[in-house]
Order: sequence, then C-alpha cells, then structure tokens
Amino acid sequence: MRTRQGLLENFSTFLQFQGDSFGGWVIDPKLRRSMQTCLSQSPQEESEIFWVLYWHRLWQTPARLLASAHMTAYLQEVCYWVSRKLALKLTGHHSTADFFQTASASIDKVLKNFNPQLGSSLKSYAELVLSGVIKNQVEKQQEVKLCNDWSLLHKTSHKRLVEALQFSGESHEAIARYILAWNCFKALYAPSKVQATYRLGKPNPETWQAIAQAYNTEQLSQFSSMQASSPESLERWLSACAKAVRVFLYPTTISIYTPILGQETGELLDQLSGNLHESLLAAAIATEELEIRKTQSAQINQFLITALTQLDPQAQTLLQLYYQQGLTQQQIAERLGVKQYVISRQLNRLRKTLLLTLAEWSQKNLHISLTSPVLDSMSNILEEWLTHHFSSAVAATESL
Amino acid sequence: MISSGATPFSFMNDRLYLEIPESALEPQNQAFSSPGAAWQARLNQMSLEAILPWLQEERAAQVWPSVAVLPSFWEVANGTAIECEGMRLVLLPSTAIDLQELRVPQEWVDIPHWSADYYLAVQVNPDAGWIKIWGYTTHHSLKTKGTHHDSDRTYSLDEDDLIQDLNVLWIARQLCPEEPLRADVADIPALLLPQAENLLERLGNPEIVFPRLAVPFQLWAALLEHGGWRQRLYERRQGLLNSWSVPQWLQSGILSLAGQLGWKEQILPLAAQGMRNPAERLNGLSRQLVIAGNLYELQVFPRGNPADHIWRFELHSRDADRCIPSGFKLRLLTEDLQPFNHNEDTAIEAIDQLYVDVILEPGESLVWEVEPTPEGYDQEILNF
Repeated sequence: MRTRQGLLENFSTFLQFQGDSFGGWVIDPKLRRSMQTCLSQSPQEESEIFWVLYWHRLWQTPARLLASAHMTAYLQEVCYWVSRKLALKLTGHHSTADFFQTASASIDKVLKNFNPQLGSSLKSYAELVLSGVIKNQVEKQQEVKLCNDWSLLHKTSHKRLVEALQFSGESHEAIARYILAWNCFKALYAPSKVQATYRLGKPNPETWQAIAQAYNTEQLSQFSSMQASSPESLERWLSACAKAVRVFLYPTTISIYTPILGQETGELLDQLSGNLHESLLAAAIATEELEIRKTQSAQINQFLITALTQLDPQAQTLLQLYYQQGLTQQQIAERLGVKQYVISRQLNRLRKTLLLTLAEWSQKNLHISLTSPVLDSMSNILEEWLTHHFSSAVAATESL
Repeated sequence: MISSGATPFSFMNDRLYLEIPESALEPQNQAFSSPGAAWQARLNQMSLEAILPWLQEERAAQVWPSVAVLPSFWEVANGTAIECEGMRLVLLPSTAIDLQELRVPQEWVDIPHWSADYYLAVQVNPDAGWIKIWGYTTHHSLKTKGTHHDSDRTYSLDEDDLIQDLNVLWIARQLCPEEPLRADVADIPALLLPQAENLLERLGNPEIVFPRLAVPFQLWAALLEHGGWRQRLYERRQGLLNSWSVPQWLQSGILSLAGQLGWKEQILPLAAQGMRNPAERLNGLSRQLVIAGNLYELQVFPRGNPADHIWRFELHSRDADRCIPSGFKLRLLTEDLQPFNHNEDTAIEAIDQLYVDVILEPGESLVWEVEPTPEGYDQEILNF
C-alpha cells in the first residue's frame, strides 16, 4: 500500500479496491477543497492530532456530515487493515472489500464514543470499535443464515425491522402496519420448545386466523383508515418483513463517500464557517491538553504494567492465552478442560479488577472526574491496552 | 442443526456470557393466555436462572417481589426485577440477534412501584443454552435520553447510548455514587373499587391480545400497581376465578399459588387463644414471613360463632422465645387499600403478638400489611 503524504491527502482521499486488495487512493474534490480552506486559514496548525481533534469537535456540530466524511477519509488505513486481518482470521469466506465497506460505514459509531480526554488515540480506538462491528456483523449473518423466516421474525429487534422496511422503501404508514402485524404474530405464534428456535414451523391456518383477527381489532385504535385484512395477507406481509430483514443484512454496495456528501459544497462550507472559529479554538486547547495527556498516557502504561504483575499466576496465564496467543474463550476452555462460561466469567472478573484499579488511580492521579460513560470508555481503553500490551510482547519474542 | 449445549460460534465478542442451567431449559408448568406470553415467560425464566446465581456469588440479590408471582408480570409485560444491595435491576430478555436497541415496557419505568434503578439488555440464545448481558442503562437515562413510543408503550435506547460493560455498574456505585440513577415519575392516581372491577372484567378476557394497550396507561398502571389486582388479572386471563377465598381454602385446601407463596393450613391449638377447653383445636391458615432477617408467622382464623363472621389476623414470632419488636405494625385494608376503624395493631413495646379482629360479610375482601415490610411482600387480596 502506498502511504499517504501530508494532512491534505490524509483528510480528503479514499482507498480504492482492485479486486480484494489495495488499488490506490482517490481524491474527493469536495473534501480536498474543504481541507484546503481549513489549512489556509490556520497554516500554523501542522500536527495531525490537531486536525483529528478539530474534526471530532466539528462532528458534534451541525457540520457533522462534513466532519464525518473527513474522518472517514482519515481512518481509511485503519478500516483496511482491520478488514484484511479479520478476513484472513475468521473462518468462512469473507472478502476484505465487504468488511471494509462495513467498517467505513461505521465511522460515526467510532466518533460518538471516542473520548480524547483519556489520552487514547483515535486510530487505536477505531481499530477496536471497527473490529467489534465487523465481528458482530459476521456473527449476525451466520445466525440469520440458520434461521427460516418465522424464526427470523423472532430474532429481529423492533428498530432493525423498521430500518429494514425503510431501506426497502416502505412508507411511514405501511411500516406502522407491518409492525402491528409483526407484534400480532409474535403475541400469537412463538416457539413452544426451547431448543428449536432456528427452525420454527409455519403457523397453521388457525394461528393465521387468530393473527388476522388480532390485527383487525388493533388497527381500529392505531390507524385512521380501516382495512379488514385476511389471514393470507398477514402471511404475505410477514414474509415480506422477513425478506426485508434478510436483504438489509447485506446492503448492496453502499458507496463509500458519495452518499455522506450529497450536499453542495457551498452549503457545507457555509455550515462550517459558523462553527469554525470556536472549533479551531477548542481543538487548539484540546491539543495542548493532549500533550499533557501524552505524559499521562505513559504513566497509565506504567501503572497497568505494575498492576498486571500483581495478579496471581493463574490470572496472568489466562490473560496471556487470551490476549497474547489470541485464543478464543472456547479454545482456552478446551485447553484448560473447563466450560467456556467459566473462562468468560474469569475474564470478566479480571477485567473488573483491572478497571477498578485503573479508575481509582486515574481519579486520584490524573484528576479525571468519573462518570459511567467515562468508566465505559476506560473499559474500552483497558481492552485496547491489554490487546496491544500482549501483542507487542509477542512481537518482541518473535524478533529475538 | 445445532446440538444443544454447544455454542454455535466461538464467542467473538467478549461481553459476559452465562450458561442457562438445565432446569430452566425444561418445560415449565405455568399457564399463560397466549403463546407469545408463554414464550416471553420462558425467556425471562432462562435469563433469571442464568443471572441470579451469578449475581449471588458476589452480592445479596433476590427476585422482586417474589418468584411465585412472576407469571403475573410475564403475562402482561416483558421483564424480571431483581433487588440487589438496595438497588433494583430489571432484566429485559430478547432473542433479537441484532442488538440494536434496548426496549423497555413503560410499566417498568412509569409505575412508581415497579420502576427500577438499572435496566439490563439480555440476549437469550435458547438453542445454544447461553445468555449474554450486552449493555445496561439507568432509569434516568431512559427518561432523559430514551425515546418513548406510543404505539407499543415502550421506552427505547439505542445500542450506542447504553453502557456496554456491566462491570461499570458496580464500579460507578463505588467511585461516583452521586450520579443520578432515577428521574422523577408522576404518581398514578389510585382506582376506585368499581373501576378496578370493571377493568378486571374487561381485561381479564384472554381474547384481548394486548391488554396493556387496551386502556389508557394511567388506568392500566393503577391496576398493575396493586399487587392483588395484578395477580387477579393474571388469574382471570387463565380462567381462574376466586382462587383467594379463605373459607374455601379452609374447606377444600389451598390452591397452588397461595401454597407457593407460603400459605398453609394449620391446626391451631386453641389454648393459646384463651379458649375454654385447651384440647379444642381449630382450622386456620398461616404464612411465614421474613422481616429484617427474622422469621414470623401470620395466622388467619375464624373466631367465635361462625354466624358472627369474625376473623382474627395475628402476627407472632416463629421462635417462641422472641418477641415482636416495638414499632412493628399489623394492618388490614379494604381491597382498594383504604383504612377502616380498628384496622391496625402497633407494638408500642416488645410484645408477644399483634392481632386485629375483623367482622367480614361473606364475599368481602381484605389486604394485609406488616411494617416493616416483610421480604418478598406483594399485596394479596384475601376473600372471605
């Protein structure tokens, strides 16, 4: 892969695929113009970290779309390497390009919970979040493949179904009707045995009758117009719901940047100017803070290394197997001759101990004011740190 | 085909997984009015049996209000409450695999008596035999950041707005205890007896598929807030009428639910009641109560001439050497929770027993209360 050069390129170009691997960098003209404007207005700001904080700050303003596009450009390498690594690692046939699309479409998720205050870098945070997103996606796809339609309807959330129906172009009113039909279905048809939830049989005619009856009664209170619906139409609608959910799981070619930047450049830059000054200032302050945090980050590192050595040998072995050798909980369980749940619980307890020590230490030494969301990001940072700490241990051993 | 017990995929995402014990996978013999409610109950049962023992490994935790009455919750709404170290957690199981949102029935948020501190998002995979706690939130966040949906009367919060790591819950209690857990909720005006009877008549019909959406929320909430009415609603929807009749229990035995709650028939030696002939014995009912860690017994029995319809409610310690501490109260209320003359007895100093005698016409009903509140207390309507 050719490395990108300079701030302008880093924040305004996108990776192109050739087959399933790196093909080159494409310039997005709108993003390039926007970045050029910014750089010309603040030529003294030459650090990458400044611009990361700047766009992260702007992402929280009405200029969110533009900021999100710049950040997506900035995180292209992370998206690529995460996707490539997982495509090779996960069993089954996965393409790097597909994973890359999923990752690129999830940048907002990264930006939403990124907390620069805690001294973590956006790139390593993004790596953790995006690899979670991809793994989740694969897990879901595998599960959905195992389900027939009737099971799938029980394994879909309300929100997901609404999104799937919106994606397939249904109107607001139609979606409300589908949802009502789905609720009637779930109330009157459910698995009766615990261990057959992937292959639910088709409801029998009496059940369809009952579902239609419930639908017809309920629609009176929900809709202004009344259409008596037959059991056959209910069956058709619910099949359509299941189909929409399946299709939505593999959204075909989300173009990587055009849809997020559909607006006119002028409009975007207008939006920008209002927030520009304040955000520049905020980013400048944040960068200064970040310098302090960098020192703190070294302290955190030292603190965690010490905390690790204080764990008992059994705990250390477990962490090594999991983070250093990259074994799954299942593999560790097999190796140690216990059930997977035992490992899951032990790891959970260890993480809790480490998180508590880290939180107490940061409160006291870094004067970070703790809230649940801060603790939650700290938990992610800890995860990130453990992953890196142990994998660099591997690298060190290998290089010997 | 997936073999039971094995996990279909190695867990790729590393939140906490817990095993569903075999006992929870077996068929349960609880009645529900629809397949959907029965399935909802199964999912709640599985989550509870996986999570409760795990919680209890490190802290004191128990079901609220009590295991025996859970079906009356599951019949009408998803969710199971656990009391843990002074906090209430509600488990919200779902089989959805997309983990995009936590959806909480409004009852768990807006009924003051039901509302909780924390709401846990639980994914259940019955085939593979595991549950996963994938996030949680607080009452405060649900009310301030969540979306309220009128069409199904729920609050929802997106995945991104949940706290993902359950460990944070305990650590936050320790390190930032001032964080608000609850938002204000308005009181629900109580129902008058005829209103409640009307609602029970109407919503007790199992052909009403969505009883929780059939009347305005305020009415529905007021009905459920009363434990006795909630229980009655459940029983009516299963076709059970008048299963809380004390005279019938004495005649033909206690029904299973009251039995599970701890009611039992008891032959009471009358000597203790100051009757003429110490050998004389009387059929009564008793129920064990746990108050502040000690065992007590509540007895109900007829007194005097049957034609007078006098009933005595009596509370004493299970341990013959122990008294009832001062401050304890035994109180009787009408079915719609109104006090009446001479309806309570208070221990002004430590005392052997508390009792209230009451004349009840056949068909009249009562609710009993004890202060301090016994463990697992849920209002019960006793019919005479």
